[in-house]
Amino acid sequence: MRITEHPILDFGNPRMVQFTFEGRCLEGVEGEPIAAALHAAGIRLLRHSPGGRPRGLFCAIGNCSSCYMVVDGVPNVRTCVEPLRQGMVVCRQHGHGDLP
Amino acid sequence: MKRSVEVAIVGGGVIGCSIAYHLANLGCRDVAVYERGYPSCGSTGRCGAGVRAQWGTEMNCRLAHESIKRFERLEEDLDYPDIEFKQGGYLILAFSPAQLRQFERNVALQNSLGIPSRVVGPDEARDIVPHLAAPDLVGATFCGTDGHCNPFKVTDAYARAARRLGVEINTYTSVTGFEQQGGRVVRLETTAGPVECGAVVNAAGPFSAQVAAMAGLELPVFSQRHQVVVTEPVAPKQRPMVISFAHGFYCQQTPHGSFILGLGDPAEPRGLDIGHSWQFLADLAEKVEHLLPSLGRLRAVRQWSGLYNVTPDAQPILGPAGQPANLWLAVGFSGHGFMLAPMVGLTIAQGILGMEAEIPIDRLVLARFARGELVPEPSVV
Repeated sequence: MRITEHPILDFGNPRMVQFTFEGRCLEGVEGEPIAAALHAAGIRLLRHSPGGRPRGLFCAIGNCSSCYMVVDGVPNVRTCVEPLRQGMVVCRQHGHGDLP
Repeated sequence: MKRSVEVAIVGGGVIGCSIAYHLANLGCRDVAVYERGYPSCGSTGRCGAGVRAQWGTEMNCRLAHESIKRFERLEEDLDYPDIEFKQGGYLILAFSPAQLRQFERNVALQNSLGIPSRVVGPDEARDIVPHLAAPDLVGATFCGTDGHCNPFKVTDAYARAARRLGVEINTYTSVTGFEQQGGRVVRLETTAGPVECGAVVNAAGPFSAQVAAMAGLELPVFSQRHQVVVTEPVAPKQRPMVISFAHGFYCQQTPHGSFILGLGDPAEPRGLDIGHSWQFLADLAEKVEHLLPSLGRLRAVRQWSGLYNVTPDAQPILGPAGQPANLWLAVGFSGHGFMLAPMVGLTIAQGILGMEAEIPIDRLVLARFARGELVPEPSVV
């Protein structure tokens, strides 16, 4: 689930970076949305909303709260628009996040 | 719509609905409310939703303290599922020795009236709210029975209970004039036609002066915009309301997890404007950074404003207007009407029905201004 060729955009030479998801080491393209890297690794379940329902990508443009995850200890990160960086620690969010 | 009622109430906010309920509950069921929009669409539904007994004047303390006791059992009294009452306390911050001395006097007054508030030092203040920064804090006061309550639900609870007792609540119905005979209001003109009345209550919130003017009465009040913002919800982090009169700032987390924050602007012009400004968010962010910096990363999800209806002493005007003889006033709450609504509803109803009031609200009559008996409330945002 990662676009590598696009009629207008040029992705150049993507640099791969390492990050962790729920303690697992994964790899993604630097600068792509965190959720894109997770999707490419087959991970679709990003959070559970306060009622306990599983959530994945929904709007994918940073408008809704479906893809909120805890990234480097910070809750409510919109992983559909937050760029991936080397060494990020990404966790599923359960319910409302805890403010650090 | 009834064409004749014993008591006509102008305004369907929490005050009007509470008065209507208490009248009916005390046996006077021939009551109608006239609301220009829907219940709680005005100042009630726009308020910061805080509830505290930590005031600086005896009447505000007594009305608020007794009201909190009633909020505690309101769901049972009104047979309503949930008013989201949360008693996490109020932490009131002092930033100068003079302010702390004023707070010590307030606490002495509050304690003498049975309000369980106390003065705390900066360290204990940070034990109560661990993410409190405020490096220049001098001290604070805390009262654990203060808190938060949902103004929409409280108003709805009163309105539904009043309706069950036979009260007529007319929404989208404005009062446009009064007809007087022999010094009494005998008829209301409304957008839905005329209504004969035995007595009238002005509970029109920010429009109290305009409603009074229709009866030829001038009120020493003005309305003023106050802006509020609500954030995205997070897990429970802050139990008490944190409030600073020095910064004109208040901040409380609701049971739902969102934070409600407000900031008073001393330069705010008087009037009925309820627009909102970008500048407010910028100013508020500065105060948050100083007082509660860990909330700085929360996203604002909605911003609005409402109107205070302010009196010269920041205490409400309650009781008979004097002229016209059958006009009653429950106006000028100066930003804290919601939290007083249970006792205001009860005491105004008792007054109208000629019963002895639970609390001597005669000290808050309009005539106090003419007599110059002002006891200004010091503890306002």
